[in-house]
Amino acid sequence: MKKPKIGVYNCHCGGNISDTVEVAKVKKDISKCPGVEVCETYEYMCSKPGQDMIERDIKERKLNGVVVASCSPRMHLDTFRGAGKRAGLNPYLLDMANIREQCSWVHDNKQLATNKATDLIRGLTERVQHLEPLEARNMPVNKDVAVIGGGIAGILASIELADKGYKVYLVERDPSIGGHMAQLSKTFPTLDCSACILTPKMVYVSQHPNIEIIDMAEPVAVSGSPGNYEVDLRIRPRYVDKEKCTACGECAKVCPVKKVNNHEEGLTQEKCIHLPFKQAVPAAYVIDKEHCLWFDKGVCRVCEKFCKGKAVAFDQKEEKRQLKVGAIITCTGYQQLDAELSKELLNGWNALSQYGFGLHPDVVTNLQFERLMLQGMHKPSNGKPPKKVAFVLCVGSRMDHGIQYCCKIGCMNAIKQSLLLLKAFPEAEPWVFYTDIRAHGKGYEEFYSKARDHNVKFIRGRVAEVVPDGDHLIVRAEDTILGRHIEETFDLVVLSPALLPNTGTSELSKMLRVDLGEDGFFLERHHKLRPVDSKMEGVYLAGCALGPKDIRETTIETMATASKVATFLGRGEVSVSPEKAYITPEKCNGCGVCFTHCPAKAIESTSKGVVINSISCTGCGVCVPKCPAEAIDLTQSSDAQLLAQVKGTIEGPGESPRILAFLEKTTAYGSADLAGQTRVPYSSNVRIISVPSTGRVGSKHVLQAFASGADGVILIEGDDSQFREDGIRDHVNSIKKELGKFGIESLRVISTTTTLPQYDKVVNLFQTFDERITKMGRVAPEKRHKIAQTLAGGK
Amino acid sequence: MNKHPSNQAVCQTDPSFIEEIRKIPGGDKILDCIQCGVCAGSCHARFAMDYSPMQILKMAHLGLKQEVLSSSTIWICASCYTCASRCPRSLNIPAIMSGFKHMAMKNNVKAPIELKPKFHKAFTEIVGKYGRMHEPALQLKLTKKTSPRQLLHNASLGVRMLRKGKLNLKPSKLASTTRFSRVVEKTLKEET
Repeated sequence: MKKPKIGVYNCHCGGNISDTVEVAKVKKDISKCPGVEVCETYEYMCSKPGQDMIERDIKERKLNGVVVASCSPRMHLDTFRGAGKRAGLNPYLLDMANIREQCSWVHDNKQLATNKATDLIRGLTERVQHLEPLEARNMPVNKDVAVIGGGIAGILASIELADKGYKVYLVERDPSIGGHMAQLSKTFPTLDCSACILTPKMVYVSQHPNIEIIDMAEPVAVSGSPGNYEVDLRIRPRYVDKEKCTACGECAKVCPVKKVNNHEEGLTQEKCIHLPFKQAVPAAYVIDKEHCLWFDKGVCRVCEKFCKGKAVAFDQKEEKRQLKVGAIITCTGYQQLDAELSKELLNGWNALSQYGFGLHPDVVTNLQFERLMLQGMHKPSNGKPPKKVAFVLCVGSRMDHGIQYCCKIGCMNAIKQSLLLLKAFPEAEPWVFYTDIRAHGKGYEEFYSKARDHNVKFIRGRVAEVVPDGDHLIVRAEDTILGRHIEETFDLVVLSPALLPNTGTSELSKMLRVDLGEDGFFLERHHKLRPVDSKMEGVYLAGCALGPKDIRETTIETMATASKVATFLGRGEVSVSPEKAYITPEKCNGCGVCFTHCPAKAIESTSKGVVINSISCTGCGVCVPKCPAEAIDLTQSSDAQLLAQVKGTIEGPGESPRILAFLEKTTAYGSADLAGQTRVPYSSNVRIISVPSTGRVGSKHVLQAFASGADGVILIEGDDSQFREDGIRDHVNSIKKELGKFGIESLRVISTTTTLPQYDKVVNLFQTFDERITKMGRVAPEKRHKIAQTLAGGK
Repeated sequence: MNKHPSNQAVCQTDPSFIEEIRKIPGGDKILDCIQCGVCAGSCHARFAMDYSPMQILKMAHLGLKQEVLSSSTIWICASCYTCASRCPRSLNIPAIMSGFKHMAMKNNVKAPIELKPKFHKAFTEIVGKYGRMHEPALQLKLTKKTSPRQLLHNASLGVRMLRKGKLNLKPSKLASTTRFSRVVEKTLKEET
């Protein structure tokens, strides 16, 4: 090991630090520390003269490690690493001691603050001696994209990327792309024809040289890492050769079997060999295996005989195919609430039958109403035009359990359908029963206004029940504005069922290793700033897969997604942070304990032994203390680095109790910084060390803390961490058990989780824990000695 | 002056009312109400109420304690639970209404239908005594608590029930009422 030559730079921060911390005393004490070559103080270290000072010393004094003691590393770590890099120092050999947010801003007592600052800096100088130079790695990426789901989101994402020159595989589960938008009559608030704006896009997709549509296909497995994914597809047979089929329709004419027409939402029937819908892409017929006589009874095959192009192919088999892509876009869309799903999600309650759905043919969903409109508006029961129509909103939405969210499109859709009904039958009488009209998009409020102008009746009240009464339907509700009961008879009732994540969403999320939110939809990386990124690098989301939304919003989101994908792939390579876990193969016995604990599922068993995928690894370090063979370590937070820092931080002189707090580096550490920025004071006995995750802290480190002089240990994890609550509990319990062996009370260790803004919680914990430890008194020196001996023996 | 409630300004709100409500069974969820009106639309006794159940919940939110406790709604609620089974926020509205009844009696708020609190008291007494309902005894008790006219009021109904064998002059009792009486006693004690 090289002889350490460390430079320590102590910032005054224009009084922010130096008013509380006696920097001259710190300089004096730190200069004496082993390995410290130079210790300087300066007014503003982040200013140009400050940075110049660091650069000069690195060059002239040949420093091999730098500690800047100033503000939070969240603020200026990159700044100072940049200075180090300019002077030829590997940026990973520079670290910061946070003596502003976590010292001078939260403590008043100058002496205690100065002692604490010295301790924090000493801990860092110890740590820096063990740092290794690291290089961010770059991996080449595959520039192809898989788009899963061929609705409007998938179509637009494909076009956007294909036009930019990327090869796109558009994977669609159904026989045709188009999704729900292909079923709509007109779109709100402009009332332009849905098919007229969608079908040209579908055709464009089918003719684009960069897009390959893979219909009737579903992913069954996804492997690989960001930039290099392998997507395994299962392709169901169509039993019609797409290339040969001319969609002449002769086959359907002779097919003897009728089945429910899904595109028409079950309102009509179609032949077993059918075209999904007139504008289907690919424009080829498909045989529904479930209903076909040949597959059921082994007879018929009449379609085959009448097909002039010899396109019918009963010998087609299910196929497998693997796509190699750099990025995946998930556009899996939504499904509407039905009786089954309602019972499953809403404690056995059938939200639809309460409103007569399934009991009377003239109670339809809003999607069925779209089809009725395109078929020529009529009542399903008798084919006559409806006069009085009730639109029932919020069917199964906005519950306190099961489906808590708003369907987002129900209000505007009912308004649109009311206006379209009036256009078809000016004498019609649309009534909209609403809970709250939500008209929040561009032009939506005006559209609502237009409906009121057209005498659409808006009744503010969630419908209590719809009761069939012969040819008619009785709707019972409260007009909550009048405070009067309404009992009106209608010809047709249109329900707005809740929107749910599409079938297969949860299976797909597992394949992609992407989280779902509480609502069952895909979860974005960050609600505000990364709304289309998933947790996995290279997996992106768009449209209703993320949550209910209308077409315009879907389009906007899709454009954002396509742009993110283009940025990701356009770089040509993925930069992989070098802060990763690695295995020393000689020590590894392949027991596999680490597999189960890795939250990123980055550890795999291969023919070459256990391997950590350095791209998927998030560097959380949860695996490190779990390894019984101590074969795993973490760059930039290695055992040696952490132990040295613990020792250095805690072993300074002084009589007051010492509390060491390990804070997860992003959220929990940021929360403590926030306490500093808000100047909420807490006990100076608390010294904070930043760790990739509290799961990285093993009993070894906690024991070291107690051996070196700590009297209590706090572990705080970020609320959004991959290291989940039960994992934390188990982990902390095992640490407490270890401590028990040395007679250290379990009350001396505490753990919690926090969100960034909950700094109050963090400070409260610091305070109450400090009171507890003060009351309990310091740990007996014999116990410390015993731990130290055991630790030394262990090495 | 027009006395219809919808013409009266909202004033004299009691901010501590909501805390009181949160203590009654089902009351902890009262702020979950989204004022959708399903309860009101579903209520079979709505026609006889001065305020709809939804309005009572809103008034409770605002702290209109006197108006809530003196409303007829809380007494007319028949506890059929249609509202509760349909409420999207899973509010137990009948339980809340019962809580309001107790609160009104405890606070000596005069009920708009004088008979109602008396009926509830008589009902509890009889069930407490026999462990089961006994209609003739209830009628007698109610008559004692109100006026002899009460007896006449239900006379024809009584005769018809008697003819159909729906009325037993001798009360049917639980095999052992002692344990049940203790339950009733304890509950009544906690109430006061």
